[in-house]
Amino acid sequence: MKQILKILVFIVPICIFAFFYTYLSKDNSYPGADYRVFEIPSFALTELYTETELSNEDLSGNFLINVWASWCITCRVEHGFLEKLSNNGVRIIGLNYKDDRIDAVDWLKKYRDPYELIIHDLNGSLALDMGVTGAPETFLISNGKVIAHYRGEVNQMIWEDVFIETIKDSEIIL
Amino acid sequence: MIKVALYFLFIFSTFLYSETYYEFDDVENEARFYNLIKEIRCPKCTSGSLASSNAPVSEDLKKVISQMIVEGKSDAEIKNYISDRFGKDTLYDTPVEPNTYVLWYSPFIFLTFCLIIFFIRERAK
Repeated sequence: MKQILKILVFIVPICIFAFFYTYLSKDNSYPGADYRVFEIPSFALTELYTETELSNEDLSGNFLINVWASWCITCRVEHGFLEKLSNNGVRIIGLNYKDDRIDAVDWLKKYRDPYELIIHDLNGSLALDMGVTGAPETFLISNGKVIAHYRGEVNQMIWEDVFIETIKDSEIIL
Repeated sequence: MIKVALYFLFIFSTFLYSETYYEFDDVENEARFYNLIKEIRCPKCTSGSLASSNAPVSEDLKKVISQMIVEGKSDAEIKNYISDRFGKDTLYDTPVEPNTYVLWYSPFIFLTFCLIIFFIRERAK
């Protein structure tokens, strides 16, 4: 009996160490990242500038959806990086979240506009269906399906570890 | 004097405070609503429930929940609606599923393990 206990003294800590090592050393451990795949919910909203009607049919191909608002401080921080992505040819569609149309347009005039198209979601209805908790948030879309979702500011590190990784894994071209 | 009395009347009149935000047709549904928002975590501020939060997303969810209750949806349907969008961790009551087995059963496994060691040691004495 004492022999068993003596062996256990060694085995148990090794098991505990192995358990925590495997669970804690996993890649993609960003708490804001979510990789559930789902279709873009159907919506009928308007474009921010032109006020023309927009629906799912107006979105095609592979692109990013960035949730932003003029009242959102972190969006201002993120803005420079989005502009860089846009200049590198990444298509970004804006989802203006619970924001006044005039405030949003003024904000873009002041800080420049990296978006190909902006959906004006005054009541946050599309955002709620997509699981948006606030701003900024960014979705990676491939042919009408969300394949990655990041809650929080996207910067170079998040871009590489969350988005580039997903783009590589799913073999799409942005 | 009358002016002051009128001011007081307006300040303390209950009708100014009586605006209900969420309307239900019966008391039972209202109780269900307040119960549900305590059982669902706020997606924005994960250390609190929907009931404790006034984040825009929580306000939206509370409005949706009250509408769904009025439409006659069950508690399970409402919880599914929210966990589909914001993930399973929005439910305080964690479901028993293959990926939560460790969470649910590890205390019992640990306890039996301790008991086994305890009895082995007792025997050895």
